[in-house]
Amino acid sequence: MMADTPMLRSIEGYSIGMSSLPRPRRILHLDMDAFFASVELLRRPQLRGQPVVIGGRVDPREDPRTRGVVSTATYEARAFGVRSGMSLREALRRCPHVHFLPVDFSAYTPVSAQFKQIMRDYSPLLEDRGIDEAYLDITSHPLPSLALARALKQAILDRTGLTCSIGIAPNKLLAKISSELDKPDGITLLDAGDVPLRIWPMPVRTLPGVGPKTDQVLRAHAISTVADLAAVPLGQLSAMLGTAHAAWLHAAAHGEDDRPLATAREPRSRSTERTFAEDVSEKREVARRLGVLCVDLAAELTAEGLVGRTVGIKLRFSNFVTQTRDMTFSGWTADPRALRRAAFDCLQRIDMNRSVRLVGVRVSDLRRSSASDSGEDIHPGLDFGP
Amino acid sequence: MTLITIPREILLKPLQAVSGIIERRHTLAILSNVLIAREAAALRFLATDVEIEISASITAEPTSDERTVTVGARKLLDILRALPDKAEISLVAQEKRLIVKSGKSRYTLQTLPTEDFPRMAAPESGSVSLSIPQALLKSLFLQVAYAMAQQDIRYYLNGLLLMVDNGVLRVVATDGHRLALAEREVAPKDIGKQEVILPRKTVLELARLLDDSDDPVAIELTGNQARFSFGSTVLVSKLIDGKFPDYNRVIPKNHPKNLVLNRLLLLHALQRAAILTNDKFRGVRWILGENTLRISSNNTEQEEAQEELDIAYTGEALDIGFNVSYLLDVLNNLETDEVECALGDGNSSALFTLKDRADFKYVVMPMRI
Repeated sequence: MMADTPMLRSIEGYSIGMSSLPRPRRILHLDMDAFFASVELLRRPQLRGQPVVIGGRVDPREDPRTRGVVSTATYEARAFGVRSGMSLREALRRCPHVHFLPVDFSAYTPVSAQFKQIMRDYSPLLEDRGIDEAYLDITSHPLPSLALARALKQAILDRTGLTCSIGIAPNKLLAKISSELDKPDGITLLDAGDVPLRIWPMPVRTLPGVGPKTDQVLRAHAISTVADLAAVPLGQLSAMLGTAHAAWLHAAAHGEDDRPLATAREPRSRSTERTFAEDVSEKREVARRLGVLCVDLAAELTAEGLVGRTVGIKLRFSNFVTQTRDMTFSGWTADPRALRRAAFDCLQRIDMNRSVRLVGVRVSDLRRSSASDSGEDIHPGLDFGP
Repeated sequence: MTLITIPREILLKPLQAVSGIIERRHTLAILSNVLIAREAAALRFLATDVEIEISASITAEPTSDERTVTVGARKLLDILRALPDKAEISLVAQEKRLIVKSGKSRYTLQTLPTEDFPRMAAPESGSVSLSIPQALLKSLFLQVAYAMAQQDIRYYLNGLLLMVDNGVLRVVATDGHRLALAEREVAPKDIGKQEVILPRKTVLELARLLDDSDDPVAIELTGNQARFSFGSTVLVSKLIDGKFPDYNRVIPKNHPKNLVLNRLLLLHALQRAAILTNDKFRGVRWILGENTLRISSNNTEQEEAQEELDIAYTGEALDIGFNVSYLLDVLNNLETDEVECALGDGNSSALFTLKDRADFKYVVMPMRI
C-alpha cells in the first residue's frame, strides 16, 4: 500500500527510498461540455447563445402530455435552472422561450468516437466512460500536464468544433472531481496535497459512492462535507455503511483511489427501459411490457454476440420510488423466452401496490457467446432432439 | 378467545410441517406469516410461498367459535421451540394480536389481516386421482430428485416430470447432462393419463414431509396444479408450464458392453478418486479391460488417483470419462447391492439400471477428458 509515502516524504531534504516508490500516476479525465446540445448547435448555429434543451421525442408545447426528460441543456438553459433528468414540462415552465430538440444519437456517436480517437493520440491507455467522457493515463507522456491539457483541448476544438473540460490528478477519483471544478471549457490540475484545501470543503455528495441514501445516513451523523467524512475513523464509518463501502469512502475522502483504468472495457451489462405514456396499474400489463423489453434486449445481445447470466428488472412507481429485483441462472443465455421467464419471476417478487410509470430490464454478468462458454465441448449434453 | 390449549410437541408438528416453504426474506410481509384457523373441531396451520400451499391440522375440542389469524411463522416457531419440553401452550387470539401463553411465559405477537393472505386458485377440472403408499412416492422421488436442474435457463428442467399412464406412475428428472427415471405400476390401466412438471421446491418439500410408512398419499393432478394429501397435511403446488423433453429418445438401447458392478465398492472407489479430480469439471476416467475396471483421476496440480475393481467382463476395451458427481449421485441414492451398467463407445451415454428390473434408468453423458 501507499501508506508509507507520507512518512518518507516527511524526512525532508532526503530522498531515501524515493526512487523505489512508484511514480505518482497522472490520470486525465475529459468531459465534453453539454455534449448533445453542443453537437446539435454545430448543426443549428442559429440557436447558439440561446437556451436549448435536448431530450424526449416531442416538444411539450405540441404535446403537453409528453413525459420526456431533459438529457442535456445548454449553459444558457441551465442559467434558468434547467437540469438533466428534469421533465421537459418543468424545463418549459422554468424557461418558457427554451428551444426543444429531440435526442439524435446517430449524430453524437461519430463525434464521440472522434474525440476519443484524438485522446488516444496522446496515450493508448484510455478508459471509455460513455458517450461524452473518458479517462486517459498520461503518466508516461513527456509533456507537463497543463501543456498537454491545452494541446488536447485545442486538438478537439479544431477537429470537432467542441469544447471540453479536463481534470488531471494522481487517480481517477480526483481527476473526475477536478474536471467538474472549472466547467465549461476549463482545465484543473490537482495533486494529493490539494485535497484538504480543494476537496474537503465540498459536500460529501461530490464523491462517487455517495447517493441520496448514503448521504442521508451520513447526515444523520452530522457528516456533510468531505472534511467531516475524512475525520471519521474507519471503524466508525464501517458501522454506519458496511465494511466495503466504508473502506472506499474513507479512502476517497482522503483523495485516495488506486483503481486502474479499464482500458479494454468489456460490456458488463445491457439494459433497456421504457417510461409509459400513462401509468399502468395492472400487473398483467406491466408483465406484457416487460416481455416486450426482454425480446428487444435478447435481440440486442444476440446481435452483439453476448450472453448473460443475471436478469434484473426495475419498476418505477407513480411516486417515483424505484424497486429492482434480479435472479441468476446457472448458465449463460440470450434466449428471449429465458429472459422473459426470469423477468416474470422477478416481477412476482415485487409488491405492486401502486401504478407503474417506468419498467426496465437489465442483463448482466455478460460474456461472449461461444460453444466453450457452456462447457459443451468438454461435457456434451443429452440429445433430446428438436 | 383461546384458540387451543395443547402440549408443545403436538402444536409444533403441524407448524413445522407447513413452515418449511416460507421464504426467509420475502418482499410481501404476509408471506412470512402462517395462517392459523380455528375450525369446528381442528386447528389448522396454512403457509404459502404463492407457488406452493401447505396446510396441516390437529384435532381440537369442538367449538362453534371459528376464528382465523395470521402471525409471523418464524417467530412463533422459535418461541415454541424454545419453550420447555412437555410445556402446555395456549394460543389466544385478540384483536390484532396473538398471545402465546405457557406457565409464566407470555408472548404477544402482531397479526396481519387474514384477507391479505394469498390463497391458491381453484384447480382446473379434468383431473386424475390415485392413492399410493407414502413410502413408495417418497422412494420414487428420491430415486430421481438429485437429477433435477437448478436455476437452469430451460425452466422446465428445474423440476420433475410426474406422469400417470396405463396405471404406471413415472417420475423423470434431468439437468441436460444426465437423466433419471423411476416408475411403478400403481393403479388399474384405465385410470387415465396425465403428465405434469412439479417445481423443484415442491419435490424436495414432499420428499421431506412424506414418511416411510404404508399410509396412503392421495395424488390429484389437474392441468394447473397438483394436490398431495397425506395424514392431516395437504400440499397444493402450481406446475411448471412447459414441455418436458422427450426422455425416451435419450435412453440408449442395445449398448454392447454390459457390466454388473457392486454398488458400494464402486461408490467408495469413486468417492476416493473424486478427491483428486479437477474442481471445475470433476472428471474421472474409466478404463475397461478384461475383467477389470480401472478408475483414475488427476487434478490441475498433477496429483493422481488410481483404483481398480475386479469385474466379470470379457468384451471390448473402452476408455471413457465421466463427471464423478453424476456417478456418485446415482450410486448414493440407490439401495440395491448391484447396479448394471451398459456402455457404447467413448462418446455415447452410459445407462445404469437395476438387475432384473425395468423400473429404474439413469443415463449419463460422458465427459471428454
